[in-house]
Amino acid sequence: MTSALESPLSPCDFNSHGWTRRDAAHLVRRTAFGASHKDIRQALDDGPEATIKRLLDTQAESADFMARDAALHRVALDSADIGDLRAWWANRMLYSANPLAEKMALFWHGHFATSNAKVRSVRQMEAQNALFRRHALGSFRELLSDVARDVAMLVWLDGNANRRRQPNENFARELFELFSLGVGNYSERDIKEAARAFSGWHVRKGEFWYNSLQHDTGDKTVFGETDNFDGGDIVELSLKQDAAPRYLAKKLLQFFVTPSPPDDAVAELAACIRKNDFAMRPVLQTLFSSAIFFASGSRHTIIKSPADFVLGTQRTLEARVNLRESVRLMAQLGQSLFEPPTVEGWKGGRTWINSATMLGRANFAAELTMGNRFGQIADPAEVAAQFGWHDSHDAVHYYVELLLSRDAPLARDAIEKYLAQATGPLGRRLRGVVHLLLTLPEFNLV
Amino acid sequence: MLITRRNFLRGSTAAGIVSLAGMPPEFLRRAALANEARSNHSGGRILVILELEGGNDGLNTVVPYADDEYYKARPGIAVARESVLRLNDSLGFHPQLVGLRELFDDGMLAIVQGVGYPQQDRSHFRSMDIWQSASLESAAPDRGWLGRALDHAADPQAPDAPALAVGLQRLPLALTAANVNVPTIADIDGFRLNAGGDDEAGQKRRDLMRELAEPASGSSGESLFLERAAATAYRTAERLGEVTRDYQPAAPYPATQLANNFKLIAQMIAGELGTRIFFVSLGGFDTHSQQAGAHQALLGELSAAVKSFYDDLKGHGLDERVVLATYSEFGRRVKENGSLGTDHGAASQMFIVTSGKGGLYGDHPPLTDLDEGDLKFHTDFRSVYATLLEKWLGYASEPVLGSQFAMMDFV
Repeated sequence: MTSALESPLSPCDFNSHGWTRRDAAHLVRRTAFGASHKDIRQALDDGPEATIKRLLDTQAESADFMARDAALHRVALDSADIGDLRAWWANRMLYSANPLAEKMALFWHGHFATSNAKVRSVRQMEAQNALFRRHALGSFRELLSDVARDVAMLVWLDGNANRRRQPNENFARELFELFSLGVGNYSERDIKEAARAFSGWHVRKGEFWYNSLQHDTGDKTVFGETDNFDGGDIVELSLKQDAAPRYLAKKLLQFFVTPSPPDDAVAELAACIRKNDFAMRPVLQTLFSSAIFFASGSRHTIIKSPADFVLGTQRTLEARVNLRESVRLMAQLGQSLFEPPTVEGWKGGRTWINSATMLGRANFAAELTMGNRFGQIADPAEVAAQFGWHDSHDAVHYYVELLLSRDAPLARDAIEKYLAQATGPLGRRLRGVVHLLLTLPEFNLV
Repeated sequence: MLITRRNFLRGSTAAGIVSLAGMPPEFLRRAALANEARSNHSGGRILVILELEGGNDGLNTVVPYADDEYYKARPGIAVARESVLRLNDSLGFHPQLVGLRELFDDGMLAIVQGVGYPQQDRSHFRSMDIWQSASLESAAPDRGWLGRALDHAADPQAPDAPALAVGLQRLPLALTAANVNVPTIADIDGFRLNAGGDDEAGQKRRDLMRELAEPASGSSGESLFLERAAATAYRTAERLGEVTRDYQPAAPYPATQLANNFKLIAQMIAGELGTRIFFVSLGGFDTHSQQAGAHQALLGELSAAVKSFYDDLKGHGLDERVVLATYSEFGRRVKENGSLGTDHGAASQMFIVTSGKGGLYGDHPPLTDLDEGDLKFHTDFRSVYATLLEKWLGYASEPVLGSQFAMMDFV
């Protein structure tokens, strides 16, 4: 939909393009986890502006959701079992009225990748997760500043080992390399000096503690500026660098739009981030309304994360979900919530995919449609009755649109033939259809 | 249930002519090739890469125990002179490396010292990218050194995957290729395909899944990538079921993850899977604080697993077909830090398990001539890679590494 003359971030012109069911499905799938028939229907009826507004504004949660959320939360904190905390978060991803906030919390979790493998505290991981959610659509500036004082992060990157006479570079290095600027935008000296500014930022009794005895109060020179900086100053200095909005812009584009964003889109989004002083809500509003977001070249280009593949498929098929089994599977597929592989987080894209995870995804598809380990999907026989389908063509059309939202003539023909030849009860045959669609290589794209 | 070619074909027949007709002839051809591969691959050379992730402290691995500078730099964490396993009058192994010491004594372990590259990068990710891609270019690499070798040399029609990553959750950059999809196997039990039942409908779906996963003409980008990945996964699952079914190890393995991975590799080699390159990784070497205990455990796991692997291979008469090489993204600072650990450094050693060419290659870098507190390298790691590619696997190294590197003598 984007032309050579149009700039990537300019608003997509729906007046001339129209607003189709596939547009609605695209918007919902990219900003939430999966898209059920109802989700797509609502976005189609509301139109793009109202849907984007609804995604970005905080929506009231239902009483049912709040009760269940509170119960799962309590279980996790009482059991101190990280598996329970994963289940709690998965429930939010599946059923919160604010799915974009959950998706952004996951984005920040990958960005500030902290692992319970070292932190070893459900309470501290939960506190960090709350931080990601609080700032999910808020200010990256405030988020970064809070993360530097976050207990889980301080444990993760050896805050207590950073002392006046023996500065530890771990946090300072990752702050520049992974959290704000990216490789090549700072020197080794900047890291050494910045580490001194964070010295004495310790944890005591499970809380942030400014240990003044271990804080280096001398002058530090970072990015060419010299002063008696402390950690907060370093955060500000890093955000002043041109690389900061560019780094964040590229990651956002890769997460929401396309695996290889063009340079002009990165530059435009970076300018937008700078203009809004790192406030995420207006930045995302621009991004989700943009020509590049809806461009045909951006559709079906992102490889689903395990969260999108597992939880998204469950939501799409209106499943009653076994949360514990589902988060366990996500870990096997490479996305163990609260336990990213390294401080670099999940690289995403093609790194999700290998033979073991392809088999894992295929086996999940079989189990979700034919078994009950991961929960129960809405019974296809009831869906068929509800829509009053007359022939196999109607049924396959419905599921191809729901699951793929694209023309897939080869698969469609083969699957229609399968349905026509299969015997047994309709529900069972339709489950076979859904199973086959979920195991198509292209179902792994969003 | 286990999918084998035999019951796959039986299932297809039971399901009727329709599914056979719908199946690409390519698949049947591959099945025939698999049998051929079994005889052809006997005697083929195999390379196993063991990555030590996090930056192994080479100085506490091969210890310069006769050098006072070493003890001066590491008053809190040095390996005591009397406890090292002496290799000669200046160097000794960390006491946990009993198994490696036996391999060394048997002439099977080469220790290449002072390995690194110019302008050592001290970021884990960047340096790991450099080691895995064998490229010092600043742009983020998209292919690995073994991946490029596979792009040049692997037969895309071969029935078995040319390389496998074992025990990893995701494909390492080293094995990432443009035209070949390298499978990753977390564990053998997870490597089976469930089609939601083995009744007639299930068999039909299994056939359709394979058929619809084959790369479509005109596919490109992520679609083509996913099609290849799915097709490779379904095919490899079937072959693994076949080759590992009747295997008995010829030596006991310790109960560690690394040993399990090696056991699986031994199974696949003994089963004559046509795979020539295996990649395994052991993590946890980023020992910034309280290093001694953690490092000791890691070296113990490493040494015992490698020794069991070679004992097992030897019992099957396969040890001379397999070369194993270790590397880590960097060594660590010569001086210990303030938390009884070590920070990111530069040059370190590589271990190569090889038949009859063991010994020390190159001198230990001096502790008095440092580069910003780190050991200087004298051997470019790409020389080691070039030697493995050319002299062991028989691949031309220059197209893979971009230029010609000096050959070494450890194989």
